[in-house]
Amino acid sequence: MRAGILGLAFAGLMASTVGSFAADVAVLTPYQSSVATNQMINVFQDKAKMAGWNATVVDTRGDMGQLASRIEDVVAAKVAAIVLVSVDPTQIQDQVSAAAAAGIPVITIDGAKAPGVVLNVTSDNFELGTKLSDFLFDKLGGKGNIVKFFYSAHPGVHQRELALDAALKKYPDIKVIADHYVVVPGPIDDARKTTENWLKSQGDQIDAVWAAWDEPAIGAQLAIEADKPDSKIIIAGIDGNPQAVELIKACSHIKGTVSQDFDAMAGLAAEGLTQILAGKTPEKAEIYAPAKLITPETLGVTCP
Amino acid sequence: MILLRRYGTLLALALIVLVFTIASPNAFGSMSNLVNITQQMALLAIVAIGATLVMVLGEFDLSVSAVVSWAGIAAAALFAAGIAVPVVMIVVLVSAVAMGAISGFLVARYKVPSFIATLAFGTVIGGLTFWVSNGATMFSGIPAGFRDLGRGTLAGVPVPTLWLIGVAVVFWLLLDQTEFGRRLYAIGGNREAARLVGLPVRRDMVVAFALCAALAGLAGLLLTARLGSAHPTGGGGYLLQAYAAVFLGMTAFREGEPSIPGTLVGAAIIAVVSNGLTILGVPSFLQDLLTGAIILAAVLVRNFGRDGD
Repeated sequence: MRAGILGLAFAGLMASTVGSFAADVAVLTPYQSSVATNQMINVFQDKAKMAGWNATVVDTRGDMGQLASRIEDVVAAKVAAIVLVSVDPTQIQDQVSAAAAAGIPVITIDGAKAPGVVLNVTSDNFELGTKLSDFLFDKLGGKGNIVKFFYSAHPGVHQRELALDAALKKYPDIKVIADHYVVVPGPIDDARKTTENWLKSQGDQIDAVWAAWDEPAIGAQLAIEADKPDSKIIIAGIDGNPQAVELIKACSHIKGTVSQDFDAMAGLAAEGLTQILAGKTPEKAEIYAPAKLITPETLGVTCP
Repeated sequence: MILLRRYGTLLALALIVLVFTIASPNAFGSMSNLVNITQQMALLAIVAIGATLVMVLGEFDLSVSAVVSWAGIAAAALFAAGIAVPVVMIVVLVSAVAMGAISGFLVARYKVPSFIATLAFGTVIGGLTFWVSNGATMFSGIPAGFRDLGRGTLAGVPVPTLWLIGVAVVFWLLLDQTEFGRRLYAIGGNREAARLVGLPVRRDMVVAFALCAALAGLAGLLLTARLGSAHPTGGGGYLLQAYAAVFLGMTAFREGEPSIPGTLVGAAIIAVVSNGLTILGVPSFLQDLLTGAIILAAVLVRNFGRDGD
């Protein structure tokens, strides 16, 4: 009886979904809750729709073991292509190689080059980190104390941290007086709480906040706005997150973000996949989308 | 009818497999995919078998996911230092056993509620893991010989599946066929009565927690072998799913009691649902909705059956 009820309930749920979700292009990521990743996926889905593909999205919430399993599933389902978003494919190399061996093209957006990956569309993360660091250090006049929000688990974000290390060597009078490994998911709240603590313990010493991406920068802004609104602390991040751009426009403590063109990345990936599905090979195995610095000045705003 | 009551959840698993096979005969129903599912469920089932031991006592170990992550990172760090595979595995498993024993000791000796003790100690383990890894994913120096422990096939059977079979048989025998296993059920049934009849309650509880952590440590090693990398939060996904598997398993075979065969059925249901829905192209948010609904349905149907009595 209970098996019957359970089975019927399940069959009913299945019937409502099976017909409408035939997989064609599988989009997989462990980080869909990230604003930037979500934006890339949304743009890619729009492009897929225009191209007549049926793109389905799988998010494993930071779980790489699950990601490996789900790639095995879509390989078994013989999808036309696999798109990995915001993940280094070398972390799931066996599954990527198995997909390639099965003749399924694998492309990555905001990923990395790896055996079996036909195309990677990304930003040069080291360059992003360098632009962020140089901007912040110039703003400080080459001297001051910074705090750092980082997330080494993401290979791309880790590159930005390495760029900071390199920039610090060029600016010996800039000191990192505190740092924090950001908790993901929930980076804004985590950064907010951490900044609140820093403001209490060493608020007078902090001149700037270096955030490896915009969500911790937003968290730091929220804390400073609440606890030390008159301070001269400046914040900068990476991604061109719409909320961060709005805060720059509003003359908040966030004074800059190095914008990755996520729409362009997703668009370039869709263009590349169109070629690949037509049997052509992309001219380059890795394409960099352009990055630009967004400041109050570039937004046409004059802040006091 | 009695058979249906006794094996209802198992039949539900068969029904789910049937529905997916009809919906996708070439992809889901292929033999290679069914074998693949056993590989995908292996690590979850190993963690869940450990959780079963603790659940038999009527306790929880919320540090299992932290131990999975710790084992992967500790192994990767030791490999990076050039230490040999057998030594690394022994050191990591011993460290996991020690972690479990500490949790068990806190619960058994000082009567700290297991929910709190293991949550707190899991946080300590998480901190240790981040300290060792610096928060980064660790790739380098993982030997090919070690990676083969978590991937590939032996006589056509995926290696993780073989690990699962071995662990399941050993722990089924331990729980169902030994005095130790019967003592655990006795302690879980009525701890005070077990103490009064002279059972070594504290020692058995410490051993159960230690074995639970050992299996989480083994799963962490196999996860690192399977992926070829270790992530400081790599075990995060196992906690809720492992207990979901145990709870689902409690609706099978033995009324309301955790058991190894039941846990295997629970882990299989979770793995089959994830695999089948992905193959059918169902978005992941809908997968969560369906997985949660199936677990709720299984538990509710069992309770309805009881009310009907």
